[in-house]
Amino acid sequence: MKHRGRLVALAAGTCVLSIYPAFADEYHLTVLRDALLFGLFAVSLDFFWGSTGILSFGHATFFGLGGYVMTLVTMTSGLPAPSVLGLFAAVGAPAALAAIVGYFLLFGGVRGSFFTIVTLALSVIAQQLVISWSSVTGGDTGLLGVPPLALGGYEISGAMATYIVVAVTLIVVLLALRALEQSRWGKILIAIGDNEVRAAALGHNAPARLTLTFVISAAVAGFAGGLYVAIAGVVAPDLIGLLLSTEVIVWVAIGGRGTLLGPVVGAVLVQRAQQEISSMNPSLWPLILGCTFVIIVFVAPDGVMSIAERSRMLLRRRSA
Amino acid sequence: MEAAVTTLLNALTLIGILSLVGLGLTISFGLMNVTNLAHGEFLTVGAYAVYFTQSFGGSYWLGLVTAPLAAAIVGCALEWLILRHLYEKPIAAILATWGASLVIQQSLELVFGLGGKPVLPPVQGALDLSVAAYPAYRILLICIAAIALGLVLVLVRRTSFGLDIRTVIQNRTMAEAVGINTRRVYAIAFAFGAGVAGLAGALVSPLTTVLPQMGVGYLANAFFVVIVGGAGSVAGLIAGSTFIGGLTSVLNYQMSPSLVQAIVLLVAILIVRVRPNGLLSTAGALR
Amino acid sequence: MSEVLLEMKGVSVKFGGLTALSDIDYSITSRSLACIIGPNGAGKSTFLNVLTGTLRPSIGSVAFRGRDIGGLALHRISRLGIARKFQIPSVFPSLSVAENMDVARWGAAREPDETDVLEMVGLSARRDVKAADLSHGEKQWLEIGMAIAASPKLLLLDEPTAGMTSQETQATAALLHRLKRHTAIIAVEHDISFVRALDTDTLVLHQGRLFRRGPFSEIEADEAVRDVYLGRR
Repeated sequence: MKHRGRLVALAAGTCVLSIYPAFADEYHLTVLRDALLFGLFAVSLDFFWGSTGILSFGHATFFGLGGYVMTLVTMTSGLPAPSVLGLFAAVGAPAALAAIVGYFLLFGGVRGSFFTIVTLALSVIAQQLVISWSSVTGGDTGLLGVPPLALGGYEISGAMATYIVVAVTLIVVLLALRALEQSRWGKILIAIGDNEVRAAALGHNAPARLTLTFVISAAVAGFAGGLYVAIAGVVAPDLIGLLLSTEVIVWVAIGGRGTLLGPVVGAVLVQRAQQEISSMNPSLWPLILGCTFVIIVFVAPDGVMSIAERSRMLLRRRSA
Repeated sequence: MEAAVTTLLNALTLIGILSLVGLGLTISFGLMNVTNLAHGEFLTVGAYAVYFTQSFGGSYWLGLVTAPLAAAIVGCALEWLILRHLYEKPIAAILATWGASLVIQQSLELVFGLGGKPVLPPVQGALDLSVAAYPAYRILLICIAAIALGLVLVLVRRTSFGLDIRTVIQNRTMAEAVGINTRRVYAIAFAFGAGVAGLAGALVSPLTTVLPQMGVGYLANAFFVVIVGGAGSVAGLIAGSTFIGGLTSVLNYQMSPSLVQAIVLLVAILIVRVRPNGLLSTAGALR
Repeated sequence: MSEVLLEMKGVSVKFGGLTALSDIDYSITSRSLACIIGPNGAGKSTFLNVLTGTLRPSIGSVAFRGRDIGGLALHRISRLGIARKFQIPSVFPSLSVAENMDVARWGAAREPDETDVLEMVGLSARRDVKAADLSHGEKQWLEIGMAIAASPKLLLLDEPTAGMTSQETQATAALLHRLKRHTAIIAVEHDISFVRALDTDTLVLHQGRLFRRGPFSEIEADEAVRDVYLGRR
């Protein structure tokens, strides 16, 4: 029942995304497109956090790494099919980093808060490295003029084309990760999340599965980062830093952890709110973000969408 | 020789600060099992307290007294409003304390305005140590930090409150059974850790510019101190600080600070892999 | 023809200055049923932890079908064909009964066919119920079912009847006798009425030593064993 409900929600979301261009002007189309890209990033975090219960506090490291790698590859002249190569690198580099981190932490038995803290530090360090290594990364200001996506000589630019690429990618990734979550793989992950020792006693290699899940999550984050810089045309240190790492947590927490689709909704809504609030007073946003963290924890630990679900159940019970 | 002495004193400065900041974390992380991401803000509050005191014409020394008090009050409020309700929910505590951290930072910016604030040290100039000249204030800092840590050790080892804390660390249920009010112990210990971090903030304030975000940088390092040393013991705290502070100071001499940060992090991760319970742990036989 | 399945030779386990097990020699053949009893603190849990490889003996060795298993990773031990049912029911609460069984089967080195294990443990009507919603007794059954699902060669049960009614206890004893046709079983148990119902090769641990071994009828008649249980020794 619950699963069917989510499939219906995904179908509804697809409909909204396909109709939206008919009503929106170019500016609003690009706004939604960028929000969806961050939504894809949120999905990547949710895939790991939602299915393993382990919180990565430095996921922007992977998003930003994907972005920087994409930038460096596509800005190197003389490569054949730079966009394709760039996206491969944007997926590969974060995946490799996640494999290393996973090997040391997850295989080392590091779980829970320890994992969260180490990943938090990872994001802090990544941002510092990017800022100080200015000859390659452009330092504080980042790099401008990242080439747009190109496939076989055809350049994908313009609001409509990029919007379609992003929307289709998002839906494909959502479907793929959903299928993965409902497969044997996902069930075993839930079992590991419930009781890791027991799962291991049944013959499941928990560290390997957790690490691979982390790698997949990082790869998706890197892919989102790579797409983002190619479409936005710029890369900057705030794409890899701690603030983005924590914002993505809010998107997932608001949308509902473990729902995959919820984080996309969360990302779109929160970024919309962020723009409204920042346009009034730029220093107000971090304050509200901070309050949001506290409020979520106490009011809606399962996400805002769960409030809707709960109230619907309440209504149904009353009418019955 | 001169370089060696300078590096040693730099290391001692950093070790002192890290130990003081880490103390509160080892209490909350080791004793109460909560991850407090707002811990860096206690240091920030301490630094702002000194700035605030000086801006009214108060001396640095007055600031040094108000800083721990201000941080302890903020700590009390955080424990009472948020953490107390989340002891059984580790991830919720992480999220809520991070939120609190943002709120504190932004409130400081709203109250005191944008930009860095200067704090004047109580002593100027350098002290001639025959082999090398070293800033007098830093030497003072090392002494104050050492005295403060000594007092903490005495407090934990020799007083009845210290005994309560150690009892609660070892077995919470048992402590409750013998009539210790663990809630109260938690609250006081937490505020105490916050206060000591505030003291650290007062000590570093003349060395840097005081900024709302200054605590975040110390947060990550302090956590590594606690993780590397092993959460929950003063000896582990000092071992962890010595390791992180020492390594940072030695490397700082040769390369850029952010690269040093990265290397220290990597080494810390390696240590966590080899000794998951900290440098000083003896448990290794149990899988 | 039954082979020696598991063999402990001169096993001692020390925690710091405390000796939890001292100089134990023990072996069990395939398709047999053994029971371990002993007063609290006799070393039963340590014994089981050594058997499952979670604890490496300080001295001595544990071999499963001739292979040393001391200190192997948990999932590797499991893949050799040793299954364990924990003392506290530790089913996966977020998964349904059927999914719990699936996860158990998928962990086996060679994945066994879906069998009627749920039928055997009396849970076939509860297939789609979330494990979190099962009663305490049902969770214990599911645990046993999960342990059998991977068709292990050796099944270790830690207090399988804890929290069961006497009727359920008798049924569990009968179930174990049926199961020993497929696998060797070692049960650690507290409840003497269950051990009596099993009526099988019984091992008495006392202060970390192997105190007596023999058929239950002999053990029950042994004065020294009674003294141990009544705390007179």
